[in-house]
Amino acid sequence: MAAVKQLCKSLVQPLLAVIIGLLTGALVIAAVGESIIGTYQEMWKGAFGSFYFLTSTLARATPIMLIGLGLSLAFRAGVFNLGAEGQMVTGAISATLVALYLPAPGFVKMVAALVTGVLAGGLWSLFAGYLEARFRIQLLISSLLLNYVAVLFAGYLVSEPFQDKTGSAAMAQTPMLEKSVWLPKLFAGMSVHAGFLFALAAALLIFFVIRYTPFGYEVKMLGQNPFFSRYGGVNRVRVMLTGMFFSGGLAGLAGTVEVLGSHYRYVEGALTLPNFAWTGLMATLLANSHPIGVVFTSLLLAALQTGAMGVERNTDVPLELASVIQAVLILFISAKFSYDWWKNRNNKRRESHGAV
Amino acid sequence: MENRLEMRGMTKRYGDFTANDNVSFTLKEGEVHAIVGENGAGKTTLMRMLYGMEQPTAGEIAVNGKPVVFRGPEDAIRHGIGMVHQHFMLFPDFTVAENIVIGYEPQRKGLFQRKEAASAVRSLSERYRIPINENAKVSSCSVGEQQRVEILKVLYQGADIIVLDEPTAVLTPLEVKELLQTIRHLAESGKSVILITHKLQEVMEVADRVTVLRGGRVTGTVSRSETNADDLARMMVGRELQQLSDRVRLEGKPLLRVQGLNVREKQTLVDDVTFSVHHGEIVGIAGVSGNGQSELLEALTGLRAVSEGKVYLGEKDVTGQSVAAIREAGLAHIPEDRYLWGTAKRESVEENALMGYQRKPEYMRRGVVLRSKFRRVVEEWVERFAIKTGSLHLKEQAGNLSGGNLQKLIVARELGQNTPLLIAAEPTRGVDIGAMEYIHQALLEKRNNGDGILLVSSELTEILALSDRILVMYKGRIAGELTRSEATEEKISVLMAGGSVYGSSQAAM
Amino acid sequence: MELFDWSLVSSTIRMVTPILLAALGGALCSRVGIFNVGLEGLILVGAFSAIVGNHFTGSLLLALLFAALVTVLFSLLFAYMTIGLRANEIVVGVAINFLGLGLTTFALRAVFDVKGAFYDKDMAGLPQWQIPLIKDIPVLGDIISGHSPLVYFAFLAAVLLHFFFTRTVTGFRALAVGMNATAARSLGLKATRLQVLAIVMCGVLCGMAGAQLSLGQVTMFTEGMTAGRGFIALVAMMLGQAHPLGILASSFLFGLMDALSIRLQGFSLPTQFTAMLPYVLTIAAMFFLKDKGASSAGSSQQSTR
Repeated sequence: MAAVKQLCKSLVQPLLAVIIGLLTGALVIAAVGESIIGTYQEMWKGAFGSFYFLTSTLARATPIMLIGLGLSLAFRAGVFNLGAEGQMVTGAISATLVALYLPAPGFVKMVAALVTGVLAGGLWSLFAGYLEARFRIQLLISSLLLNYVAVLFAGYLVSEPFQDKTGSAAMAQTPMLEKSVWLPKLFAGMSVHAGFLFALAAALLIFFVIRYTPFGYEVKMLGQNPFFSRYGGVNRVRVMLTGMFFSGGLAGLAGTVEVLGSHYRYVEGALTLPNFAWTGLMATLLANSHPIGVVFTSLLLAALQTGAMGVERNTDVPLELASVIQAVLILFISAKFSYDWWKNRNNKRRESHGAV
Repeated sequence: MENRLEMRGMTKRYGDFTANDNVSFTLKEGEVHAIVGENGAGKTTLMRMLYGMEQPTAGEIAVNGKPVVFRGPEDAIRHGIGMVHQHFMLFPDFTVAENIVIGYEPQRKGLFQRKEAASAVRSLSERYRIPINENAKVSSCSVGEQQRVEILKVLYQGADIIVLDEPTAVLTPLEVKELLQTIRHLAESGKSVILITHKLQEVMEVADRVTVLRGGRVTGTVSRSETNADDLARMMVGRELQQLSDRVRLEGKPLLRVQGLNVREKQTLVDDVTFSVHHGEIVGIAGVSGNGQSELLEALTGLRAVSEGKVYLGEKDVTGQSVAAIREAGLAHIPEDRYLWGTAKRESVEENALMGYQRKPEYMRRGVVLRSKFRRVVEEWVERFAIKTGSLHLKEQAGNLSGGNLQKLIVARELGQNTPLLIAAEPTRGVDIGAMEYIHQALLEKRNNGDGILLVSSELTEILALSDRILVMYKGRIAGELTRSEATEEKISVLMAGGSVYGSSQAAM
Repeated sequence: MELFDWSLVSSTIRMVTPILLAALGGALCSRVGIFNVGLEGLILVGAFSAIVGNHFTGSLLLALLFAALVTVLFSLLFAYMTIGLRANEIVVGVAINFLGLGLTTFALRAVFDVKGAFYDKDMAGLPQWQIPLIKDIPVLGDIISGHSPLVYFAFLAAVLLHFFFTRTVTGFRALAVGMNATAARSLGLKATRLQVLAIVMCGVLCGMAGAQLSLGQVTMFTEGMTAGRGFIALVAMMLGQAHPLGILASSFLFGLMDALSIRLQGFSLPTQFTAMLPYVLTIAAMFFLKDKGASSAGSSQQSTR
């Protein structure tokens, strides 16, 4: 009974945030002089209006979800990994190169590319973790800075040594991958690919690990109170680095499945322009780092974005409607923190006279 | 003589809980009025209301006969009330003078006149005979000096009523003596002092009147000449204290051996410490806090690097091992700060109980923690230690437990490890007397079962009640060792202050 | 073309300005104990509203005032969420960045009915001030003279901020709030008021940073034209230990690297590597500064949950 009550309570705030987000969106739509209802109808259609749009939304949600899941793991461990973008790009470019040049049969090559993507993203992320563990360079900053380095370096690779020279225009992109390494689509002619299943599997796996394994317990406690976990024999550095590795690995996987599942080549800007990394961050924040929650928040944010694309196609309201609604969502979800804070503060008061 | 301060019928409720119930209190000019009571008796709440940090549910306050309402500390300060908090409210990077004048800085056209501030502080310090170095950074001051800064700050703010909240807890015996003199001197120069404490000897030494609180109510206000420490203790607790069970005489083998242990970090924190703890023995470490006890424990438990020396647990050399390895070798640890080291406040009781057990084979199968099996163990602890967990029981957030119940949970968790050695640091700090008796009893039982305990406490009464042997730490060294029979509070106090030469203890800390 | 010459310094000074202004704003927040990740969004809003102000009033002064006003309103939202509602600073900062990007793009459509960029050839940019006497000094004149007023404002702001913290009572109290807000409150200091004041001033500075972007170097607004400068400012702030003069130095380093990377493109080095330089250098610099600065962002370590 208490559990049900708790669940309802934990749902009120996100719902409220969604409503306020949509209301703000309505205000903005009205400001451009469009019909609010009509625009939201277009948005709904753009996101879920047909099987095609629904699967596009799922495809869009795939990298967001993978990144969000990775970040949720890091955040759980109390590590503020802001480097998802770089980790994603590092994974994607490494996987692309393996998929292009590894002399092996198609399926082996695909698996090798996926593994490489995870490893490369993980190692790039691990580097930031190592800098913090070994040299006390704040991860928050170093991971952010390493984004730029990774994105620029990948940009160099695809515009110089590994550029596709066959096309007429000199685009910054690699040659097309051969068909045998493409990730299968889940439905013929639809954009959602096998990467979506990876994301769902990752969510379940992380949920299970956090909930039931000693490692998950240690991750959680490290995030809650690093002193306490150290006192209890948790190896802080090892848990942090492991967390960072998988966090970056999932981001790398996100980039890899985008390449193997929808672009079939590394195109400069194709991963960074849609803001997958920051959207993934928001998905995690909205879900309060809960892995199953991330599945739903990624779908929500992806739907907002694909919906907004539909809006842009059919009305004069620009795409950035999604950004506005997302931002307001985040703002009001963070008000939940304040509610928690109030509760804690009152508790603290009770404590301070009760025992001190 | 007119009352400088009157509080009438002060009541404070938090939900169902009544922290203060119809408390009345008066303070005369030039008077030292002590408020005593055990933890949770409502002393802090009463003072928070006086200082405007809490709004009373009912009751009124009058200063110099005029009723007042304090909406915040600034209102209280304006009416001449100054508070010296238990945890100092200082800015470590600022100088002494800056810390004293802050909020009331001498200024010209918005510019901070630091020279004027320093000279104002200088003259204030001379006038009240409270020595400080106004240009030193607070971070380089000893605890005693920091307290003097706090007192000067409230004097600078023009306080006539000075509230001192547990002021002697952090001081060396000599510093305590000096503080009591300062308090008398302040009273003689017309200031009124409210002294909140649970140390009855100090009350008997310095107070004019004493008000005793118990369970949020006043059990009596008496003048010092009409009372004595025993009466006060009875008024505080409301019953006779329970006797600890007898100690069994045990001749055990050495369990923990520490040889020439050094911990250095810029300066030497633990200096060539050698001692041992035997089976069936409680070794107490006394000392003013900040003399290396915390660092010693952290080095023993693997939380801090050992610079030099050896630590043996049983036959095993555990020097410089990881926390997990040392725990595995047979050590459990009640940490000195239960909120910083001992719990994760926002996690549940159950999650907090699991710490240290998460990788034990008996609670694991195929890499998965056996939650339900462990839950039964926690239920046993809750029952055995009468831990009040709140409405959600094991799912309740640990931060919602009272200090005493949380401490009992930590004690239960560490005793549950069943290790031959237990390190207990400040095991009863800030808990009520009931919980304290429970914990003391449990520690003694563990000793009588043939296990060893290393007890660190800043409460001499606790050290004396429990220890078979007492080591006194001073400036990172073992300043002396006393057996249970030869130890007295006086002897320990002398050692705590750095030997018998009082003059040299100035430099303590 | 020479790799190093005096015009490099001059272009550095121009590059530095938006970063310096925003970093000073970030430092103000940091010094009162607030980590403001929303600089990027604030600058963008400033850049856009400066163009709007210029377009509708035709007055540069009013445009700057309008930019300041709108950015301050935005930063008040940040203040309300973080201080009023006690929401997590980083979360709110990230949201402010998104909101800035979304709303400016949106408003670009709503106000000017264009997509991508707005450019009006009749619109006047910020003037280039020729400083009498100094402009005639060889070399020095070229470096110091002939910048937009906001360039001088930025350098003045750094000095003023330093003065504010070291000499004034309000600055002293602001530092106290940042060091220990609980203690400051117990003294009856208006901690909240000081924090809000700092955030508002940060808004003004970011507004000016944006105005320099959209009216100083060029006279146009493009979607997301900040291109990560807010984050660079954040890094410059941390590198400079939130000390106004330290920030002056670190922003200068970033500006120099920026200018140098443009210059290096002429030397057939891949542009990506030159663009990478500031970030790599910052990471390298953090090896030496690792002990300090930890306080500025350390609090955010555990912040998300």
